[in-house]
Amino acid sequence: MNAPSPALEVLDLTVAYGERPALWDVDLAVPRGTLTAVVGPNGAGKTTLVRAVLGLVRPAAGTIRVFGGPYRERRRLVAYVPQRGSVDWDFPTNVLDVVTMGRYGALGWLRRPGRREREAAVESLRQVGIEDLADRQISELSGGQQQRVFLARALVQDAEIYLMDEPFQGVDALTERAIVALLRELREAGRTVVAVHHDLQTVAEYFDEVALLNVRLVASGRVEEVFTEENLRATYGARGFLERPAVEA
Amino acid sequence: MIEELFSDYTLRTVALGAALLGVVSGSLGTYAVLRRQALLGDAISHAALPGIALAFLLTASKAPVVLTLGAALAGWAGTLLVMAVVRTTRVKSDSALAIVLSVFFGVGLVLLTHLQRSADASQAGLDRYLFGQAAALLERDLVTIGLFGGVALGVALACWKEFKLLSFDPDFAATIGLRVRAYDVLLTGLLVLAVVVGLQTVGVVLMSAMVVAPAAAARQWTDRLGVMMALAALFGVVAGVGGAVVSSSAERMPTGPTIVLWLTGLVVVSLLAAPRRGLVWRFAADRRRAGRLRLGAALADLDALAVRHGSLEHGHSVSVLELTAGRGVGRSLAALEERGWAQRTAEDEWAITEAGRDEARRRRGG
Repeated sequence: MNAPSPALEVLDLTVAYGERPALWDVDLAVPRGTLTAVVGPNGAGKTTLVRAVLGLVRPAAGTIRVFGGPYRERRRLVAYVPQRGSVDWDFPTNVLDVVTMGRYGALGWLRRPGRREREAAVESLRQVGIEDLADRQISELSGGQQQRVFLARALVQDAEIYLMDEPFQGVDALTERAIVALLRELREAGRTVVAVHHDLQTVAEYFDEVALLNVRLVASGRVEEVFTEENLRATYGARGFLERPAVEA
Repeated sequence: MIEELFSDYTLRTVALGAALLGVVSGSLGTYAVLRRQALLGDAISHAALPGIALAFLLTASKAPVVLTLGAALAGWAGTLLVMAVVRTTRVKSDSALAIVLSVFFGVGLVLLTHLQRSADASQAGLDRYLFGQAAALLERDLVTIGLFGGVALGVALACWKEFKLLSFDPDFAATIGLRVRAYDVLLTGLLVLAVVVGLQTVGVVLMSAMVVAPAAAARQWTDRLGVMMALAALFGVVAGVGGAVVSSSAERMPTGPTIVLWLTGLVVVSLLAAPRRGLVWRFAADRRRAGRLRLGAALADLDALAVRHGSLEHGHSVSVLELTAGRGVGRSLAALEERGWAQRTAEDEWAITEAGRDEARRRRGG
């Protein structure tokens, strides 16, 4: 019997903005049921990688397979947690409403979200520990709460693979612990998570797999095998990664 | 005036037309404001001018449906051009909007001037499309406004959750399978409709205010999209009817500027007086916060003095307290007395009470 296809497979992916390549000939396979960190310096193409997988940027070349098939046919299996700062949090709506948006894909045109959708949304809010904020205006949320809202919106999609763009960026310690617990729950349920990550200190603690990216893929695989000083130096440049601040503004 | 509104046929037509217009442009303007595309309304309305002139040149008809269709096509072309310029060049959207707006408007003015030289110009009444003339509204204009506006509103309601998601988080919308480009084009098309139906009444130059101002004012009063849209429609009606009625009851008073004056009033009141977001409310909240802080500081000062003197009854003069708590300490002391946390021991002398000490201890977290 053949081994099951990886949750996510990226082959020869090249993305260019204008003349400059953002990603160059990247090959990556993410095994099912793992937590994978994508790390690399600023401008390494981490976000571009996620956006290319989701079809939000058009690759110049390359193939992307989700559970063995093209993304377009596997959309329902994929959930996306964008960067917190990518939306206007002053939009007139509340927490429950934003989380319910995660069900819009499964609802047809002209169908309004009903009780089932709202119940699923409340359940997701419970999973991220902010069910008491359901009626809160989104403009009144802290950074950590905003991040949890986005996570809940992805959870309500009930996907097989979760693509997260910097889920830990600018969140408080409490939220960070809650997110880590959530990632482990997802792994236990057999789900796959790919997260763009910035804090090199926590990679080994939080993740199983790591992809070191700097336009090209430097290395990818089990954290204990690939997350080596040599590979990090190759990713972040000769002056060493330790000069980098752990948290970016 | 009110009686006239119901008896006078012209006035009734004018008011009804302006009200329809207010509903359509107010509610659809909500999306323009939330998507930070307020300038797009301006570009559309200016870009529509050559369409009006061309429609008249080609058909020699001045039927509002024909002219409005011409305006819609030109407005639509201008919008697509803006999108294309942004997508394919390095020109940013604000510059693209400005370029398209002025080029189209310039062409429109040239055509209009040309038409005015050729005899039947004033007869065609094309010049009223510049600043709007509500008094010239006829019943068939109402049909045009109702038709175009009704379609625009109907589609907007049918695509409610799609447009909401598109406005809040287009990337996420794309990942759950929403055809973002198509809905973007559709929503922009509705905005074009909302703009062009108002051109005859409000005019090319000021129509964008009719789109942006009601929504901007409505945003101040609510945190819910549905309510915001309903309020924007209401504000649109108020300003539209108010402006149209005032301008058509006076000689040679263009409607567009009159409506804009009403809108200005609504926006100013909303910016100032709205709860939570309004300037007055925020100023008062700041004052309250500062007052609470001063109160806490005065309480802590009295508590520290009582500890130092080992006595609750020992009074301390206001001038001493002013040294640390500032000159406004009198008001804080009065507030403390009201809560039973401080008492007056003599003229201009104050001491903390038993309850005040407990409160001070609680605030220290002890």
